[in-house]
Amino acid sequence: MSNEDRPSEIEAALNCLARRQFVLQSSALVGSAAFSTLCSANTNASPRTVGQHFAPRAKRIIYLTQAGAPSQLDLFDPKPGLRALADTELPDSVRNGQRLTGMTSGQGRLPIAPSPFTFRPCGKSGIWLSETLPHLGQMVDDLCVIRSLHTEAINHDPAMTLLQTGHQIAGRPSLGAWVAYGLGNENENLPTFVVLISRPGGPTNAQPLHERMWGSAFLPARFQGVRFSPGPDPVLYLSNSAGYTRDRRRTMLDTVKQLNREHFSETHDPEIVARIEQYEMAFRMQATVPELADLSHESAHVLDRYGPEVHKPGTYASNCVLARRLAERGVRFIQLYHRGWDQHNKLMNGIVSQCRDTDQPTAALLCDLKERGLLEDTVVVWVGEFGRTVYAQGTLTSTFGRDHHPRCFAGWMAGAGVRQGVIVGETDDFSYNVVRDPVHLHDLNATLLHLMGLDHKRLTFRYVGRDYRLTDIHGNLVSSILDSPAKPHVS
Amino acid sequence: MLISLPTRVGTGKLRPSRGVGAYFACRDVPVALESLDLSICPGTLDTQEGNQISYRSVIFRILLSRWVLGAMLLFSVSPVMCTAEISFDRDVRPILSENCYSCHGPDAAQREANLRLDQPQSAQQISSNGTRAVVPGDPAASELIVRITAMDDDRRMPPPDTHKHLSAQQVELLRDWIAAGALYERHWAYVPIQSPELPAVRQREWPANPVDYFTLVRMEQQGLAPSPDASRRALARRVSLDLIGLPPTPAELDDFITNPSPDAYLQFVDQLLASERFGERMAAEWLDAARYADTNGYQVDRDREMYAWRDWVIRAMNRNIPFDQFTIEQLAGDLLPHATLDQRIATGFHRNHISNEETGSIPEEFIAEYTADRVETTATIWLGQTFNCARCHDHKYDPFTQQDFYRLKAFFHNINEKGLGDYEVPIRVSNPPYLMLPTVEQQADLQRLDLELRDTESQRNELQVATSGKHPTLTSLQSRIESLRQQRSQLTESIPTTLVMEELTTPRQTTILIRGAYDRPGDVVEADTPTILPAMSSAAPRNRLGLAQWLVDEQNPLTARVTVNRYWQMLFGAGLVRTTENFGSQGESPTHPELLDWLAFEFRKSGWDVKWLLRTLVLSRTYQQSSLAAAGHWEQDPENRFYARGGRFRLPAEVIRDQALFVSGQLVMQLGGASVKPYHPAGLYEQVASALGTSTYVLDTGANLYRRSLYTYWKRSVPHPAMLVFDAPFRESCVVRRARTNTPLQALNLLNDPTYVEAATFLALRMIREGGDNRPSQIAWGVRAVTARDPSPVELNALCVLFDRMQQDFSRDFTGAELLLKSHPAPISGTIARVDWAAMSVVASTLLNLDETITHE
Repeated sequence: MSNEDRPSEIEAALNCLARRQFVLQSSALVGSAAFSTLCSANTNASPRTVGQHFAPRAKRIIYLTQAGAPSQLDLFDPKPGLRALADTELPDSVRNGQRLTGMTSGQGRLPIAPSPFTFRPCGKSGIWLSETLPHLGQMVDDLCVIRSLHTEAINHDPAMTLLQTGHQIAGRPSLGAWVAYGLGNENENLPTFVVLISRPGGPTNAQPLHERMWGSAFLPARFQGVRFSPGPDPVLYLSNSAGYTRDRRRTMLDTVKQLNREHFSETHDPEIVARIEQYEMAFRMQATVPELADLSHESAHVLDRYGPEVHKPGTYASNCVLARRLAERGVRFIQLYHRGWDQHNKLMNGIVSQCRDTDQPTAALLCDLKERGLLEDTVVVWVGEFGRTVYAQGTLTSTFGRDHHPRCFAGWMAGAGVRQGVIVGETDDFSYNVVRDPVHLHDLNATLLHLMGLDHKRLTFRYVGRDYRLTDIHGNLVSSILDSPAKPHVS
Repeated sequence: MLISLPTRVGTGKLRPSRGVGAYFACRDVPVALESLDLSICPGTLDTQEGNQISYRSVIFRILLSRWVLGAMLLFSVSPVMCTAEISFDRDVRPILSENCYSCHGPDAAQREANLRLDQPQSAQQISSNGTRAVVPGDPAASELIVRITAMDDDRRMPPPDTHKHLSAQQVELLRDWIAAGALYERHWAYVPIQSPELPAVRQREWPANPVDYFTLVRMEQQGLAPSPDASRRALARRVSLDLIGLPPTPAELDDFITNPSPDAYLQFVDQLLASERFGERMAAEWLDAARYADTNGYQVDRDREMYAWRDWVIRAMNRNIPFDQFTIEQLAGDLLPHATLDQRIATGFHRNHISNEETGSIPEEFIAEYTADRVETTATIWLGQTFNCARCHDHKYDPFTQQDFYRLKAFFHNINEKGLGDYEVPIRVSNPPYLMLPTVEQQADLQRLDLELRDTESQRNELQVATSGKHPTLTSLQSRIESLRQQRSQLTESIPTTLVMEELTTPRQTTILIRGAYDRPGDVVEADTPTILPAMSSAAPRNRLGLAQWLVDEQNPLTARVTVNRYWQMLFGAGLVRTTENFGSQGESPTHPELLDWLAFEFRKSGWDVKWLLRTLVLSRTYQQSSLAAAGHWEQDPENRFYARGGRFRLPAEVIRDQALFVSGQLVMQLGGASVKPYHPAGLYEQVASALGTSTYVLDTGANLYRRSLYTYWKRSVPHPAMLVFDAPFRESCVVRRARTNTPLQALNLLNDPTYVEAATFLALRMIREGGDNRPSQIAWGVRAVTARDPSPVELNALCVLFDRMQQDFSRDFTGAELLLKSHPAPISGTIARVDWAAMSVVASTLLNLDETITHE
C-alpha cells in the first residue's frame, strides 16, 4: 500500500470504528470510549458522548468536597436559641428515632452543645455566617446557601460514596465521570475530569479518600477522574523518563507511529488508528499539563488573594488556583478535596484550623472566577458528606466534639444558573431536622446535571441489563436553587 | 434442533415496507399453530415440570417472503436475526423485557394493570376493561398492539416519560409474533442443557473439531469465509499468552516452528497446559471474579492476609481440579466430611468481600452487606444472573423474587463473623474467622516453645508447692516462663493467617429485608435455591454444601453455560454470550446457542475438566485463524461475532506487564507467597490513605520488584495505577468482564513507568548480547522476542534508522545516554558501548510501545 492511500484507509478505519461503537452502544459495558476519544483527539469534532439534553446554564463544575463532614452548626446554620439550652438533653421528640452511630449510642445522655462561634450577617443579602468564614462573608452575595441538605448514610465511607457516586455501596460511577460521559471535554489536550487533593494544614482527623470516589465504575475508564499530584509530574508518568529529551521522544514516537501504521495496513483493525491518536495526545499532554501546573506567571496580587499557603504545592490554596486554571482551559469537571472536617472532639480548634486552610482560598477562587467572567459559565459547589449532631459527643466540655448527623447539613452553590445571595431550606431549632425545602444529595445531583444541560433521568448507561443513572430512581430538580425557572425538557 | 411446524404459504397479503429493516411478511396464521398444545408453551416459567421439556425446540417458523435490503442494518445490530423465523426467546423477549417488563413483568410490587407480559396466561387474560393484551393470532384485537401504536400520549405504551420507544421493526415483529400465535418460550438460559447435533456445513474439510462446525455454519449463513490459519509464530504467541500469560521464548518458538510432527501444535499446547505458569494465568482471571485484594476496602482500608487463598487457586488450577470440585471447595470446603486444611483455605473465596472497621458503624448493617455481596457474587459467577436487582424488590426483568434473594442469602448468613471490625486490634483478631498457617519451622518452634513452657511451668508449680513459694530458683523460673510466653506470642503474630468460612453452631435467622434495609426485617425465610430453577435434591443438606452441590448438579442449566462462556471470552475476547455477567432477559442471547450448549454439555461430561475445555477451544480451527483481515471484513463484522477471523484485542493489564518483564529477562518465576510491592509512583498513598492502614508505599527490593503481576499488592482504596489504567477493576465487587479502553494515560504509562523504562534497557542488553553481531540482526531479534515474528524489511529499516539517529544523538550527549542507562541500572558489561546501549534502549522501548505488543493477535 502506498503512503498516499493511507489517509483514506485510515479514514475508513475511523468510520468502521464509529460503526463498531454504534453497535457496541447497544451491548453495554464497552461503551463509546475509543470512539469519543478518537473524535476528540483526531477530528476536532465535539466529543461524541451523550450530548446535552437541553440548553445548559453551565459549562463546567468546580466541586469543593469538604471530606469528613463540616459542622453546619458552626458554619452556616446559626441557632442562637441553643445558648439557653446548653448541656440540656436533646428532646426525644426532636431525635424521633434517628439512629446513632456506635460512637454516641453508648453514652448516657445527649447534651446540647451550642456553637462556640459567633454568627453575623454578611454582605447586602445579610446571610448569617460564622465568624470563622470572614473571607467567604465578602462573597456571600454570590452564594446560594443550602441549609437543608440531607442523606441516609451515617458513616464516612458509605456517605462519601453516596455523595460522590449517588449510591452507598461501591460500584457506581462518580458524578464527575457521569458528566464526562455526558458531555466530554472542551479541551482535547487535557483530561475531562481532574481531581485535586489538598493536604490539611493542621493536625486533623483526616478521613481517607478512595479512588472509587472519582472512579468511573462501569462507565468506560476514560471518564474516571485523573488525579493531579503536586510536584513535577501532575499526571502519572507524564514527564519523560531520564535521558529522553522532548526531541528524542518525538523521534521515538514517530517510529512507533510508523510501525503501527505498517501493522494497520496488514490487520486493518481500526483500534490501531485509535492507539496512534492516543500516543499523539499523550505527547501533547506532556506540553499542556506542565504549563497548566506552573503558577510562576500568575500575578502576585492574584496569588496573594489566595493567602500565604498558595505557594506550597498541594495545599488547598494552591489547588484553588489550579482549579481556576483548569476551568480557564475548558476542563469539564474539577473536583477538589479537602480533608479533616471530622470533629468528634476539639471542635473549636478543628474548625478554626480547617477554616484557616480553606476560607480565604475559597473566597479568592470565587472572586477570581468572577473577575474573569468564568463564574458566568462555571458552577461552584461546596459540600461535605453529612452534618454534625447538635449534641456533644461525650460530655460537654471545652474540647467537645460532634458526632455524625445525616438528617441535615449545609453547603452552598454559586455561579452559572444559581440564585445569588439566598438561602434555600430551613432546619428546626436544633439543626436536627429539615423543616422546609429538603434537598437530598440526589436532588443536588439532579440540579447540578440540569445546570450542565443534562436530564438526570435520561443520562443513563446500560450495564448488566439495566439502565443506570447517577440518581438511581431518585432525585428532583431543586428549582429554588436556580436563577431562572426550569423550562420543560424537550427531547 | 428446530422443529418445523407445518406452515402454509401466505396468500400474499403484503404490507409495504416500513423503514429500514421492515419486511414483507405472511400474516396468515396457519391453523396448525392454533392447535398446538399450549400447555407445553411456557410462560410456564414458574412451572417446575417445565424443566423436563425442551421448549427451545419449539421455534416458530414464520414464512417471510423476503427481506428487504435495508434489513442488513438490523443484522449488524442484532446479527442473530439472520434466519427468517421469529423466536420468542431470541427476538420477542428482548423487546418486551427492555420496554415493558419493568411495569408488566416479574416484579409484583411495581406491576401495573395487573398485567404481566412475561407469562402467556396473564398476557392473554381478559382485563378489567375487557381487553386482552395478547390475542394469539389476532394482532388487531391485541391491546398490546393497539397501545404500542397509539398516537395519543395518554394511551401510548411505553409511556412517553420512560423515554423508551419501539421502532417500526419492533412493532412489526410483535405484530407478526402475535399473528403467528404468540407462542412463548422458556428463556434459553433456564432450559436444560442438551447436546446438539453438529450442523451440516458446506466446507466439510475446514473443521478441526466440533467447535468449528458451529462457527462455520454461521459464517456460511452470513456469506463469510473463514480466515486462513494464523502463522505458526502468531499462533504460538497467541496461545502462549492465552494459556500461561507469557509469550514464547525465541528458543521455544524455533522448536515449535521447526517441529516436523503433524502434532507440533498439539504438543506445544500440551506443554503450556502442563506449565506451572498456567495456574498463575488462570488465577489472575479468577481474582477479579472473586474480588480478591490485600486490604479490607472500607474506610481505613487496613491490610489483610488472604494470599494463602490466592495460592490455593493457583495450585488448584495447576492440579486441574475439576470445576465442580473447585466450586464446592470454595463455597463449602469447611463443610466437607473430614475437611482438609486446603479445603478450608479454599473457603476464603467468600471472605474476599470488602469489610468494614469504621468506628461507630452498625454491625448489622454490614453483615447485611457482606451476605448480599456473597449472594450477588455467587449468582454472577455461577448463574450469570443479576441477583442484586432482587435485593430490594422482585427482579424487574428476570423471574426472581425478593424472597429468592433472601433464601439464597440464608445460605451465607450463618457465618461466625463480625459485622464490624476494630482497627485498634491486630487485623486477624478484627476479622474472624481465620486459620493460622504456620510454616514447618514455625510449627516446630511452636511445639518446642509449648513443650518448654509446660515443663518450666510444672517445674515451678512443683517447687512452689514443695517450698511454699520460698525457693530462690522460683524467680528465675518465673522470668523464664514470661520470656517463653512472650516468644510464643511473637511467634504467633508472625504466623501467616487466612480468612475462612466457619458455620455458626446455632443458625442465624434470615428474614427478607424490606427495601433491602438492614433494620427493616420482613418475613422469615429458609435457605433455598431460586424457585424458577430445578430444586435442590431433598437429600441435600440445606447449607452451603448443599448449595454448592446444587450449582454443579446435572439439572442446573446455568453453571456449565456460564463457565464455558467465561473461558471462551478469555480466548476470543468476548463471550458467546457477550454479557458474560448477565444471562438474564436483559442480557444478550448467545451468538451461537448450539455451540454454547455443546461446550457446556461436553464440559460437564468431561468431568468439569477445565484443561480439556481449553484444549478443545485452542485446538479448534476457529481459534487458530489469522487475525489479519481485509478492511472489508472489519466493516462486515466489526465485533467479530461470527468468528471468521482470529481474535484481536488488547491484552489484560497483568499480561502487558508480565510480558515486558519476561522479554527483558527480568521476570522472577516464583510461585505464590505474600503480595509484593513493585514500582509505584511516589506520593499516591500519602495524599489519601488513612494512617491506620498502609499509608506509605514502601517499594520492595530485589526479586519482588519483578514478580508476576497477580502478586502485586492490591490496596482497594488506591489500586496500583498501572493496573487501573489498563482497565483492571477496583476489586470491591465481583467483575467477570473487564472493559477495554484505549487512552493517552496508557501511552504515558508504557513510555515512562520505570517498569517499562527499565525493561527496555534490559531488553536492549539482551538484543545486543543475544541477537547476533550486527545491528539489524540484534533489532530483528528484539522484534521476535516481543512480537514472536520477524520484522518486515520496512519495519526493520525504520528501527535501524531510529537506532542510528539515537546513536548519533547520544554520541553528542553522553550525559543523556548515562541518564537513560543509570536511571535503572542493569548489569554493567564492559564490552558494550554505553551510547549503543542507550540507543538500543530507545529501540527496545519502541517495541514495548507497539500496538501489536500489547495486543492479543
